[in-house]
Amino acid sequence: MARHSPVTGRYVTIEVDGLEYKVFYLHNGTGTPLVCQHTAGCHNHQWRGLLEDEEITKNYNVIAYDLARHGKSDPPLNVEWWKSEYKLTAEHYVNFIVKFCDALELRDPIFMGSSFGGNVALQLALHRPDRFKAVIPVEAADYAPGFFLDWWRHPHANAAQVCASGVWDLMAPQSPDRDRWLTWHYYTQGAEVFKGDLYFYSVDHDLRRQLADIDGKRCPVVMMTGSYDYLTPPEATENTARQIKNGVYIEMTDIGHFPMSENYPLFRVYLKEALRIIRERTGD
Amino acid sequence: MATDVKGWASKFKSLTDSDPTIAAMGKYYTCTFMYDMTDRKVIVEMHDGKVKNINTDPGPLDAYDFALRASAQTWREFAQPVPRPMFHGIWAASFREDLKLEGNLLVLMQNLRNFTVQFELLRKSGVPV
Repeated sequence: MARHSPVTGRYVTIEVDGLEYKVFYLHNGTGTPLVCQHTAGCHNHQWRGLLEDEEITKNYNVIAYDLARHGKSDPPLNVEWWKSEYKLTAEHYVNFIVKFCDALELRDPIFMGSSFGGNVALQLALHRPDRFKAVIPVEAADYAPGFFLDWWRHPHANAAQVCASGVWDLMAPQSPDRDRWLTWHYYTQGAEVFKGDLYFYSVDHDLRRQLADIDGKRCPVVMMTGSYDYLTPPEATENTARQIKNGVYIEMTDIGHFPMSENYPLFRVYLKEALRIIRERTGD
Repeated sequence: MATDVKGWASKFKSLTDSDPTIAAMGKYYTCTFMYDMTDRKVIVEMHDGKVKNINTDPGPLDAYDFALRASAQTWREFAQPVPRPMFHGIWAASFREDLKLEGNLLVLMQNLRNFTVQFELLRKSGVPV
C-alpha cells in the first residue's frame, strides 16, 4: 500500500503585468481558502506541516504556491529574464497574488505569508482589502531594512551555503534539528533569487507612513512574530500592529523567523488562535 | 564556565575535530579567525575542517582573516546552552547586540556553513571569559 500524502500539486498559468507565469501550487483541504506564501529565496515546502494538518484542512482549503522563480514555478516564459537583474517590487508582487487567486476563483481567501510573505500581506491589506477576507502577516513589519545584501549572490562564495547558513540563526535554537536542517536545505535551492526578493523586503516595502490607511476592520490583520526573530523583532511587529486599525499582535515564544517550517507543532498553536480571531471578527 | 584558556582551547578543539556535521563537509574549511572577547582574545586556525592551532595569547602582529568582537558579557551569553534571543548567533548579535564583524568578511562567507556550526559549539565548551 503506497503511503500517499493527501497533498496534491498542480500548475496554473497566469499573466501578471504582461509576464506569463506557470505557477506551481500544493493544496489540501476544504472550506475557506487559506493562501500561503513562503519566505524569500525559498519555496512552498515550508508549509508541509500545515498542508497535512487534518484539524485545519477539514475547515480550510490550504493552498501553498511557489512564487515565480521559486521552487517549481519558473521565471516568466515570455521574456528573456536572464538579461536583467531580478528585483521584486511591491506592485508586481501584489498583482501576482491577486491574479493567482483570481485564476483559482478563490472567494474571500485568507492570505498568510512569512517574512517577505508577511510584508506583502500588509500590502494586500492596504491595497486590496476588497479581495481578501483577512491577512495573517507572520514575521512582518512596516519596514524591514538591512537584508538587501550582495553576499547572497557573491560569485566568490558558495551562494547556496551563504543563503542557507546566513538565515540559520533566524531560527530559534529550541526548534528541532531535523526541521531547522530541512529549512537550511530549502535555502540552498533559491540562492539566485534571494537577493531580488529582498529588494522588496528591505527596500521597496515601506509602509511607515501608510499603516493608518489599512482598515483592519474591513480586512482583519492578525500579526504574529517569533521571539528569536532578529530581523523583524517582536517589538517591530507589535509597533506595526498597534498602528493598524483593529490590528492584532501575537508574540510566539521560543520560535524564529520561519515558524511554519522550523517548528510546525509550536506554530500551529498560534495559528489556530489567529484563525479563531479571524472567525470571530468576520462572523464565520 | 571555562576560565582556563588553555583548557578551553583544548576542549574547543576536541569538540570541533569530533563534530560530525563539520566533518560531513569539512574539506576546504580552511581559514583563520579571531574571537575577541574584550577581556581575552584567541586566534583559531582551521585546516580542512580541523583545528590546526588555537593561539591563546596573540601578539599585535599575529594575522587572521576576520574577527568577531564583542563584550565579555555577550560572549558569555553566546555560551549558554540555550542562548537568549538575539544572542543565538553571529547575525542576530551583529544586528541587535554589540557584536562587530571585522576583517575580510568574504572569507567568513566562503566558510559560513562550517563556521556557524563551529560557533555553536561554544554552547558546549563555554568561553574563557
